[in-house]
Amino acid sequence: MAAITLENVYKTYANRVEAVRGISFEVKNGEFVALLGPSGCGKSSTMRMIAGLEEITGGTIYFDGKPVNALRPRDRKVAMAFETYALYPTLTVYENVAFPLRSAGWSKAQVDDKVQEFSRLLELTRLLDRMPGELSGGQAQRIGLARALVREPSVFLLDEPISHLDTRQRHRLRQIIKRLHLEKGYTMVYVTHDQEEAMAMADRIVVMHEGVIRQIGTPTEIYRDPADDFVAGFVGEPPMNFLDGSPAQQDGVWMFRSEDREFPFPHWLQPHGASLPPELKMGVRPYDVSVSLDSNAPRDASGQVFVCENMCDYSIVAVDMADVRFQAVTPSSFSANRHQPVFLKFDPDFMRFFDRATGKAIQIP
Amino acid sequence: MIELRDVTKRYGVSTFGVRNLNFEVRDQEFLVIYGPSGAGKSTTLKLIAGIIKPTAGDILRDGQSLLNVAPESRDMAMAFENYALYSHLSVYENLAFPLRAKRVSRQEIDDRVQRTARILQISDLLNRRPGFLSGGQRQRVALGRAIIRPANLYLLDEPIGHLDAKLRHRMRGELKAMSADMRATIVLVTTASREALALGDRIAILREGHLQQIGTPNEVYYQPANEFVASFVGEPPMSFLDIEPTRENGQLYLKIRESQARLRVPSELAQHLNGETRGYRLGVRASEITVTGQQDVEHPVSGQVYIIEHMGYCNIISARVGTGLVRVVTDPAVTPERNETIWLSLDAEHMHLFYQQKAICHPSRFLDEGRANAAATYAR
Repeated sequence: MAAITLENVYKTYANRVEAVRGISFEVKNGEFVALLGPSGCGKSSTMRMIAGLEEITGGTIYFDGKPVNALRPRDRKVAMAFETYALYPTLTVYENVAFPLRSAGWSKAQVDDKVQEFSRLLELTRLLDRMPGELSGGQAQRIGLARALVREPSVFLLDEPISHLDTRQRHRLRQIIKRLHLEKGYTMVYVTHDQEEAMAMADRIVVMHEGVIRQIGTPTEIYRDPADDFVAGFVGEPPMNFLDGSPAQQDGVWMFRSEDREFPFPHWLQPHGASLPPELKMGVRPYDVSVSLDSNAPRDASGQVFVCENMCDYSIVAVDMADVRFQAVTPSSFSANRHQPVFLKFDPDFMRFFDRATGKAIQIP
Repeated sequence: MIELRDVTKRYGVSTFGVRNLNFEVRDQEFLVIYGPSGAGKSTTLKLIAGIIKPTAGDILRDGQSLLNVAPESRDMAMAFENYALYSHLSVYENLAFPLRAKRVSRQEIDDRVQRTARILQISDLLNRRPGFLSGGQRQRVALGRAIIRPANLYLLDEPIGHLDAKLRHRMRGELKAMSADMRATIVLVTTASREALALGDRIAILREGHLQQIGTPNEVYYQPANEFVASFVGEPPMSFLDIEPTRENGQLYLKIRESQARLRVPSELAQHLNGETRGYRLGVRASEITVTGQQDVEHPVSGQVYIIEHMGYCNIISARVGTGLVRVVTDPAVTPERNETIWLSLDAEHMHLFYQQKAICHPSRFLDEGRANAAATYAR
């Protein structure tokens, strides 16, 4: 195993595209780190530089404290898994998994030990005699993972390995990859654009956007205390709701004023009202918005139902206000007609505020 | 109403697109066709559109066969996944095209193009050519071109599948609102469980060319016809446990394989068991059960924590029970250690029961609203 350190790493391509612009982070020995961001954010370039498939334009990458910039990919002891696999179509699953070991000259018994071990971990035992043509996408993906791993790499890199699978297979692979990490203790770097995958599996998430890091944190930190409005909007499903407004003091209470709406800042922000920036953005997740049809209910905002989506064990209600559309997650028993007036209340513990000038979250020391 | 009667599409000698499909698309209905890749979803859509002809069977509209009606005479508007936009025309002209062909007035065309572009959030792209658009932008233009004119039937093949998560969410709502406002009849193909549940008045679930079940979201979610539907509708997917009916002192139990746990079988459930001991599985939905750290009356079955997924608004705990893995959705504050023993609220009365993959009974209480509510509160 190995720890990975990136120090002020840049990647500029021949066409002058600056894919990665000075990023630094560390992956501890045995840690599972997800690189998360939309397409074009530089996450794949970053991973390819760690693997040695891409030259590093600037900065240094260390494995266990030793620079690896000059090392060839095969000398870095890195295993890689991609979205698509080229399995050998004429070989059985067993032979596909055994292939890297046989070509490295392992004995028959050693090969068998390793193939059996990884077949158990990736739940392939029943598939070993099959041919690749007879496999589902999820099964082929697991065989690809096994083949990448049998040589016991010091670092395991995965680039969107399950993003094309269907919901059921994706959930299954999520469990298997996470368990593999826990049992084998690999240092893992997992690249994805899917925030749910990153949340579900990673110890820590590095959120990237336009070649720079926007935040590094545990899934809970990223979800609950996003560093800026980009991270806030990118992580979480349904996406976070935002409302533009400004602080104003009234009878000694600091209020958030937004168009014709007004509600007090949460308690934790009240003492700092005077130092808030003049232009703010409030963010609140759909899970932290409650909806009522009762016009006497306490409210922070009101609007009209745009649409209700009944997801069976919960519902998502979209509410139109004059300037913005909000979403709220409700019990599935909630139902309302289109255009029906509704009243919204935001959970004060989970309202977040951002400086509109910089996008940065308001943080209280 | 569109009706598919015993429709089969075979490619070559032995490759089937779809087999013996029987279902109908009702007027003003939003029907979602849902299934994994290779299930025959797009084939079904193309058959309805008339782009391909069935090998056997008939497709009817209001009782009249459509087989000899050319695609362009069927008055259906289509948006397919490989959005074929006119590359030499601007986005505006691409959107206007179906209207110009119908000799709609210039003012009316402009109104509709602007309105459609606003809904799809492509107003700022109207002067661009398709070559200068991203995949997600092109997809929205293709969708816009389909929905811009009134049609008897709209056929949409993964129309929002290539959009990023945020935009997909937004467009999902727009599609649903639009279908309600237009009272349109829509058939939409998707591979996303949440999209199917959110949009469909009914959902037709396909697998390997066969129709598995067709019903309202509540029907396919709470009363899945078989293990495939059960595991494919809803997120996280349903978990399954191998069970064996056993009799002790006259009382019938379901023994969870490779586990000490046995669930008492209430008499009304016993009638569903046929005396076999193999082939039974219990289906467990992650949001329908709860866990505790200590055994109690309501949590009689133990499991070992396998992994925890921190989703922010909830945790998904996977626990080993016998030879199976059971997923449970909990409050984010519930964070047991790996391999720790937890106790699950499993009991035979409240589980889905399958025999040789087919559903043999579902708990009735999942159909009453109170229970559905209780399950939903996990999120808060």
